[in-house]
Amino acid sequence: MEVFLKEIFGSRMTTDPFELEQYTKDIAYIPPILVRLLAKPWPRAVVQAEEPREIASLMHWACQNRIPVTVRGGGSSAYFNAVPVQEGIVLDMNRMQGVGAVHATGKAEEAAVWVQAGTTWYDADERLRRQGYTLRSYPTSAPAATVGGWISLGGLGIGSIRYGHLREQILGVRAVTAGGEIVQVDNPGLKSEVEAGLEGSGLCFDDFFGLEGTRAVITEAHLKVRPLPEKETHLVVVFRDVRPTGRLLQGLGQVSSVFNIHFSSPTFVAVLQKKGYALELPQERYCLAMDLAARQTEVEEAVRTIRREVQSLGGEVLAPEAGEAEWSSRFKALRLKQTWPSLQAAELLLPVEHFAAFHEALTKLANRKHTVVVTYAHLVSPQTVLLMTLFPSDELNTLRYLGDLSFISRIYAVGKFYGGKPYVVGLWNTAYLSDMYTSKALKRRWERKQKLDSPNILNPGKAYKAPFFLSRPVFGLGMGFLGALRPLLRAGREKDD
Amino acid sequence: MTKTKTNLEEQIAEASYVCGRCGSCRNVCPVYQEIKWESSSPRGKIALAKDIFLKHKSDKMTEFYTRRLLECTLCGRCEEICAAGIHTRELWLDLRESLREKGRLHPNFRHLSEQIALTHNISATANEYRLDWTDDLDDFEVPQSKDGSEVAYFVGCVSSFYPQLAEIPQSIVKILEQGQVSYTVLGGEEWCCGFPLISAGMSGEAQALARHNMEKVRALGVKTLITGCASCFHTWSEEYQRLLGEAGGEAEKGAGFEVLHVTEYFARLLREKRLMPAGISETVTYHDPCDLGRNSGVYEAPRDILQAIPGLDYVEMCRNRELADCCGGGGNLQMVDSGLSQAIAGRRVGAAVETGASILVSACQQCVQTLREAARKEKLPLEVMDITELLWRVLENERGV
Ligand SMILES: Cc1cc2nc3c(=O)[nH]c(=O)nc-3n(C[C@H](O)[C@H](O)[C@H](O)COP(=O)(O)OP(=O)(O)OC[C@H]3O[C@@H](n4cnc5c(N)ncnc54)[C@H](O)[C@@H]3O)c2cc1C
Ligand code: SF4
Ligand code: SF4
Repeated sequence: MEVFLKEIFGSRMTTDPFELEQYTKDIAYIPPILVRLLAKPWPRAVVQAEEPREIASLMHWACQNRIPVTVRGGGSSAYFNAVPVQEGIVLDMNRMQGVGAVHATGKAEEAAVWVQAGTTWYDADERLRRQGYTLRSYPTSAPAATVGGWISLGGLGIGSIRYGHLREQILGVRAVTAGGEIVQVDNPGLKSEVEAGLEGSGLCFDDFFGLEGTRAVITEAHLKVRPLPEKETHLVVVFRDVRPTGRLLQGLGQVSSVFNIHFSSPTFVAVLQKKGYALELPQERYCLAMDLAARQTEVEEAVRTIRREVQSLGGEVLAPEAGEAEWSSRFKALRLKQTWPSLQAAELLLPVEHFAAFHEALTKLANRKHTVVVTYAHLVSPQTVLLMTLFPSDELNTLRYLGDLSFISRIYAVGKFYGGKPYVVGLWNTAYLSDMYTSKALKRRWERKQKLDSPNILNPGKAYKAPFFLSRPVFGLGMGFLGALRPLLRAGREKDD
Repeated sequence: MTKTKTNLEEQIAEASYVCGRCGSCRNVCPVYQEIKWESSSPRGKIALAKDIFLKHKSDKMTEFYTRRLLECTLCGRCEEICAAGIHTRELWLDLRESLREKGRLHPNFRHLSEQIALTHNISATANEYRLDWTDDLDDFEVPQSKDGSEVAYFVGCVSSFYPQLAEIPQSIVKILEQGQVSYTVLGGEEWCCGFPLISAGMSGEAQALARHNMEKVRALGVKTLITGCASCFHTWSEEYQRLLGEAGGEAEKGAGFEVLHVTEYFARLLREKRLMPAGISETVTYHDPCDLGRNSGVYEAPRDILQAIPGLDYVEMCRNRELADCCGGGGNLQMVDSGLSQAIAGRRVGAAVETGASILVSACQQCVQTLREAARKEKLPLEVMDITELLWRVLENERGV
């Protein structure tokens, strides 16, 4: 193995345990006891590709030798998405960075650009700005997340409310198949996964989105971009109650120049303020930060509309500095960790009409369980919010940490009741696959995977099926047990509050 | 005050616990951009610090990890972008202090500290030769430890002892003369400011230097202390308070003088019309030194100077002010891996050329030296100089010299 990899990648490959260890983790802390039970995260080697031909050779060889390959971009995901669970090779994409020239494309002559998969969204935007353009959407992890990573996972974030899911902003993808073929797949506008399934084993456009690098390795993406807007405005509006907040959220998707809407719960603001952040926001208020971008007249009109609406709902629009401050800290949600260095999180897609009801139910649950929760969210379509709920835990106390895991499943259960579902799968959320997809869709997904990657070497163990300990009955039992144990493990919790 | 072993280790543990491993800091790190292994990224280094100091897995403090900790320019890019608001620069310094505690200092750092103990400067030359750079100044005498002066000019070791950079202090004193400023230098009474020792994890040893320098400048009774070195400036304005145990502005207040970088002082002289630059027809870009910009908050003064020069076409580099990339010359990196330092500098001069500028100026001798070398190596059509050299050039033109 080493000889082969050295031949292709030279000094860009390593088997040094000192380096390998870094690739055994992602952003979420998982107690080693659980990791040992469910995964073999140590890769046998890590390689850094510089061009598609190298990836093609790697995949061809891996396919023949049945060696798993896990693609890694920024490693900013949380569900072991980019961590191997069956050893093998980690393919690090971070050397494949670069942004081409913006050009007009298609019948509509829309502005577009080819971007290499290892480019971060932050860098892509910086380089586009030099050409007078900017991204249509990006994740709040833009400084870390790569183009290939966000296509493969999620695809909802800042700008989605305006421009839709990332899929709608991509005109084509260059990739390497599991068997080592270099391909380009254009957006047909177009075929669904079902049609593609009928078509044979060739990759289709949908094989890239949210599929966690299990069907192909993305090397480049053709992105639609937008000219720098004539006017940008940032506002914060606040309410005493979550109900009118929810009502306003429901209407905001219709306001044409809205680019981003971010919700912060009063507890989120309070936890930030403990460490001197977000001081421009009032205490005990539900905050909506709104970012508008369009022509000057449109933005002004939108601001008037929003002000009217806020007034009628009994809210308040804060001074402009608050909006600027919120916008400039849009990549800094983790400052929360200054107060809670160890925390756990549940991430949900939720119908916006149930946002307020969900929030009230969550607060009740949290009170009942004597747990402080904070929530923030993005409105990602007129109908949907992407919501993050976090609560303090203690990774230095394994029992307590394990007990707290059960609270995540309680949050998901409340979310499910209100029509919500987990956002991404990875390894840990395979336990919730049946909440995310119908059994028919799950079957179809797996069949498609088998067609494209019959030896199952691309990121095996994720996205499709739960391993034994995460299968529904076993997982349910485990969570029930941990849930029962949790009150006993709450020693020292008061200091979090 | 320097930290005790216990609170040093507690602070490292605390900061590393806050890290969310998000990786926002990774792509901006000039060292990661060259090495490209996770272990060289800020996030990678913090992950190991967490294991060692929070989880007490001391076996992870390996030779290789030590090396990774020293492969850092202390540029502070990671701190600026950190999604969790960690003061990473302070963390890197604390980690270096802990390396000293554990006897894991780089041999070149130890050599440096012995050198400074011997000569009170970073070179092997005796400190009494600190004013050798004045030898070529025929028109006037540079006043040394002159009582009653308004301004003390703290030259810094790099300007004083590197003949290839002598034009920088020469330009500074010529500008002071032209502005009819009552100034003095300290000559052999000037000791290293202590910055290289602080960067090496030996801030305890820097205390004596700080005390000496503070006493000597205080004794002069000047109103203002200026320095052309971004790192000396950072040390005087930010670190001396900590080293001398004088909290929040007390060091300055107690000393009875203000500390300014020469760019701030010269921008003031330009505003007061005490300097009248002639025109120049060049496209110029400016590299923000990390220790002046991001680490000390001085961004506008150098730009004010450049914009006060008639005819000068000023262009910004794409990454500027708090987002400016490092020149590669900070954090004692050259002592650890000069090739890495040069590779980082190569990127920065490349970015300068992209602006279309023919002249790249900075406001730090270390940056000028590193960037000049990189431009030469890469054979770029770019003149690299200190902003004071450019200012003197246009003032000289004005005088018709
Ligand atoms: C502070 C913070 C904020 C976040 N905000 C958002 C947000 O707003 N929206 C959101 O959706 N997510 C968000 N995330 C989660 C995460 O950042 C995103 O999922 C991101 O897209 C992951 O990108 P990455 O480059 O880090 O990918 P990785 O974590 O490295 O990988 C993610 C998945 O993509 C696969 N992959 C990576 N590159 C390729 C490639 N070139 N080809 C094929 N497969 C590939 C991997 O195998 C893995 O399955 C956030 C995370 C953090 C820490
Ligand atoms: S200070 Fe600069 S060189 Fe050091 S880790 Fe941070 S970004 Fe990298
Ligand atoms: S940006 Fe901050 S929180 Fe994120 S990995 Fe880097 S140091 Fe850690």
